[in-house]
Amino acid sequence: MTIVNFLIGIGIALFGFVLQTSIGGINRKIVGRMQKRHGPRWYQEFLDIFKLLSKRAVSHGWIFDFGVIMALGGIVGTAMFMPLTKDILAFTNNGVNYDNFFIFVYLLAVGMLGMAMSASGSGNPWASIGVMRALTTMLAYEVPFLIVVLTIINYSGQSSLTGIMEFQQMAGNNWFLIAMPLGGIVGFICLMGMLGKKPFETYIAPAEIASGPMVEYGGKQLGMLFILHEISVFIEVSLFVHLFLGGAANIFEFLIKYFAVYTLANLISNVNGRFKIDQVVTFFYKWPLLMAVTQAVIVIYFGWVI
Amino acid sequence: MASIELLILFLVGAGLIAYLLTKVNTFLGSIFTIFAVMFVFVSLAAYGFNMNMDTVVNYLPGISFSQTYLGFYFAIIIVFVYLMVSFFHPYYLNEYKYKDSYNLLFLLSLAGILGAFYTDNFLNLFFFFELIIWTTMFLIPQGKSREAAVSYFGFSVAGSVAMLIGIFVIFQNNGNSFDIATGLAALNGTNAIFVFILFLIAAFAKLGSFPLHIWLPIAHGNAPHPFSPVLSGALVKLGAFIGVLALIRIAPATGLFVAMDLPIGQYVVALLGSASIVFGTLMAIKEDDAKKLLAYSSMSHGGYILVAFSILNGLAFAGGFYHILAHALASAGAFMAIAAVARATGTTKMKELGGMIHKMPITYLAYLVAIISMAGIPPMGGFISKWLIFQAVINKGMVFVGIAVFFGSVGSFLYVFRPLAALFLGQEFREYKGVKEAPILMLIPTFIIMGLNVYTGVFPAGILEFINKIIVELGYTGITVSTYAINGSNGILNPALISLVFAIGVAIAFVIFIVLKKSRKVDLMDTYTAANFVHDEHLLHYSVDFYAPLERLYEKQSSWMKKFYTALAEKVKELGKLGKYLFMSKNVATTLFWIVAIIIFLLWGEVL
Repeated sequence: MTIVNFLIGIGIALFGFVLQTSIGGINRKIVGRMQKRHGPRWYQEFLDIFKLLSKRAVSHGWIFDFGVIMALGGIVGTAMFMPLTKDILAFTNNGVNYDNFFIFVYLLAVGMLGMAMSASGSGNPWASIGVMRALTTMLAYEVPFLIVVLTIINYSGQSSLTGIMEFQQMAGNNWFLIAMPLGGIVGFICLMGMLGKKPFETYIAPAEIASGPMVEYGGKQLGMLFILHEISVFIEVSLFVHLFLGGAANIFEFLIKYFAVYTLANLISNVNGRFKIDQVVTFFYKWPLLMAVTQAVIVIYFGWVI
Repeated sequence: MASIELLILFLVGAGLIAYLLTKVNTFLGSIFTIFAVMFVFVSLAAYGFNMNMDTVVNYLPGISFSQTYLGFYFAIIIVFVYLMVSFFHPYYLNEYKYKDSYNLLFLLSLAGILGAFYTDNFLNLFFFFELIIWTTMFLIPQGKSREAAVSYFGFSVAGSVAMLIGIFVIFQNNGNSFDIATGLAALNGTNAIFVFILFLIAAFAKLGSFPLHIWLPIAHGNAPHPFSPVLSGALVKLGAFIGVLALIRIAPATGLFVAMDLPIGQYVVALLGSASIVFGTLMAIKEDDAKKLLAYSSMSHGGYILVAFSILNGLAFAGGFYHILAHALASAGAFMAIAAVARATGTTKMKELGGMIHKMPITYLAYLVAIISMAGIPPMGGFISKWLIFQAVINKGMVFVGIAVFFGSVGSFLYVFRPLAALFLGQEFREYKGVKEAPILMLIPTFIIMGLNVYTGVFPAGILEFINKIIVELGYTGITVSTYAINGSNGILNPALISLVFAIGVAIAFVIFIVLKKSRKVDLMDTYTAANFVHDEHLLHYSVDFYAPLERLYEKQSSWMKKFYTALAEKVKELGKLGKYLFMSKNVATTLFWIVAIIIFLLWGEVL
């Protein structure tokens, strides 16, 4: 590891931020057109963030600030590990790639913990309720998702993302979305949950619990949380691309797949209502979990893969 | 050279001195206890790592010792937890009714621990186990509840009896010898399965695993505040030790699951461990008492340890052993933080507490570090062990165990966050305005444990290399560890790199935060309330039934096990009544009839 590796990592995190913020902006435009509006300009999200960062805000004590820093730090750290294609990744040493799948799940959790801590530290009950819902949602989508990943890792014998990518790109192997169709569907539903897209948007629920965890934020703290949100969306969508869509051989392929996945999730989100929180849990523990287990049994014990 | 025998005798002697000193002055006696435990810890650490302990026995009759890496690993962890907890004694003992004997019992139980892990004789093992149970049984009711001591004792005795029967089977099987090494090696066939089951009952009872978990929250929740960390961080690990004996050393030849390449016996244990994880997690999410919540989390972590030891390969064992260390540190840290809060406020109920962070920031940080480790998030020790266990589970393709393992891992975010939100964060209550941070002597162990939680998560290589020695000693191949990286079966992990990158991320975030305009500090009550005027901070504190929508989903099922044990207790009582009715009746004729009947039964076939 040299300083160059770390600079590449920071570069990837920055790239992820710019990419997702732009694609998020384009998506706002697309949704606008769907609803017969013009929609904002594609760079509107950048303007929002920089405006927030420049404003003077209020703080509810040291944990309120510390939590935001820890959250953004955790997410930036996670993004630094993310490979873009099978060659573009920050931490690689003599052919060994340090991008183990579990880093993304658990280092992301540090960020989430920081944010939850900060939100609860604001002393607003809406924020605590939002955090409660966010954690409950996490309990719901994470288990089916990890079972699918268990299947993938067990089948490919790789737990590094680039390893999984290469496995899918090898001749004779299909993308896991095709090779394990049930798992792929589960993966996409879980991605919707991770992104907080609409049937599972319960923890933000602006009309119901006043934006949940975000209720007390403004100014630079809110701006930093926006950055955090953009980067975490980048991480989650990239995970889906790498795990199920065969990753990418070059950066353009990555961009196309990324755009397709995020736009699809966004479109589905916009024609759905919102679940109640207990409905989210029962939903995920019914069909997606059953499908994930079926897929796992089929692949691991019978060895049937398309 | 440090002799085990002398250390044990030293502890017994120190216990007596501590008793006398505590009688004169509680503070003095407690300080003496700290030094006594410290002496034992230092001796163990100085000689034990390289197996340089003196095992010769000169004074104690019928007792013999030998040293193994396995025993040392357990012993050093437990002695360490004892040492850390002993720093808390000066501030708690005065509240207790029988405070004089507290330090005596504490040191005696430590003597039992040393003996149990260093003995090479089954009968000695049983003796030392009983010593631990009997001494700790008198420590628990000092908290407030006798019921806690009774249930702890009941389950422990059930485990001990099972173990004793197992020991007798081994004794008979091994040519009337109580030697542990040859005894375990000589087992085969049906005897092996029989002893396997008996030892596992003991392991489950001590570890507080499903279905023998009922005592865990009762005992942990009601034990004296400084004793709960010992129970959870140290004493339940005795169960893990017996589990290792049963699952790895005995490992009877039952049928094989071909798909997973795992014996059926082991797989059943893994499934029971999974049930333990799921039940523990669900009950912890529901619990309102912070100490009981952590007790249920111990149950869930006990499940991880069982799962790890039932997957028969070096990778899983490494995960299991590392998890024992990581969980001991994490749960000791968390329990000690809660103990500090309980000392300052007099309660551990989360709905009565709030905003402690503003009064006790260091305790808060200790709790935060502990729960990050407990939830298995980098850069703490729990991440390493969970990663190793995940690798092993995935590699074996254990889907159903996988569900439980992942569920427990994500569920642990939920339950560990609850005390954080309800107890430390949120609104600051006016009744706790006068609360102060814990005194400096209590902060020393807090800092040490915080440091070790981070150390185990950043530089696990040294510890894993020692664990490799244990694995080799057990007859399996260790895992590949380099200075910074750990090789799993399907990937490589570099914990130091993860921590460094996380630190860089935080540094970047900090720079962004600091260069921007400074925020205006406002009061906690100055929040968005949808234009309502809220005058009381209790109304703005969300802590009762934190996960209510989730709890509602399994409300009906959550009392199943409790009902089962209540029904069982009723049945036992009825059986007792029947016995009393039959044999202790006031009617002389009935008694006479039974005496004659029993004599006839006993003499049947011999004389008659």
